[in-house]
Amino acid sequence: MKSFEYTVKDELGIHARPAGMLAKEAKKYESKITITKEGKTVDVTKLMMLMSLAVKCGQTVEIQVEGSDEEVAFEGMKAFFEANL
Amino acid sequence: MFNFFKKKQDNAFYLGAPVKGKAVDLKEVNDPTFSTGMLGQGVAIIPSEGKIYAPADGEIAMVFDTLHAVSMTADNGVEILVHIGLDTVELKGKGFEGHVKAGDKVKKGDLLLTVDLDAVKEAGYDTITPMLVCNTDDYAAVEGIFGKDVMPKDDVVSIKMK
Repeated sequence: MKSFEYTVKDELGIHARPAGMLAKEAKKYESKITITKEGKTVDVTKLMMLMSLAVKCGQTVEIQVEGSDEEVAFEGMKAFFEANL
Repeated sequence: MFNFFKKKQDNAFYLGAPVKGKAVDLKEVNDPTFSTGMLGQGVAIIPSEGKIYAPADGEIAMVFDTLHAVSMTADNGVEILVHIGLDTVELKGKGFEGHVKAGDKVKKGDLLLTVDLDAVKEAGYDTITPMLVCNTDDYAAVEGIFGKDVMPKDDVVSIKMK
């Protein structure tokens, strides 16, 4: 299992569009990818759960990646967050 | 198991229009987030009235604090997102009024949100309102029923169970 923390810089947080993009990105990988905010963890590919986390600008989330392709998934998710959020 | 929701023919479940207006193909929405089905399949309504109603019986999952979108889980597990307008997250709630909160049980046709369509248009935003099934992958087919004027609760999305 690999994980990283990320503090959201996007002023609007993880609203509908970024949630959709994030879920789509996560589906590219075999690994199970979860996101945790304030102790609540959801599967990143479960779009509605992801939106319900209501991650806002300035909040820190932890992304956990576990599975056969976790090295590449970890790098992919990290790059995604840095580029989009 | 889903016999309770059986209606018309086959094993389809129908979502009602969330707003009065014209139902159009999701592909016509001028935003790839919706038109490519990234958030799920469904339909879009060009609203003629600023009252947003529940498309099915279920529970409110989330009301965005900017009030421009609401998600709910129908009693049979269908996950629905109603998104009022495009890029309207940027309005930060201006022109929107919420009538429900996460966890509320709603019936099809209950009022969820009110939006001042003219104010949204004046601010320069498209008011087209996509309604999507976020867990589209869980179903055999999710299809919009469009090309007509609709009243709230009219069938606009058919969902075929696997």
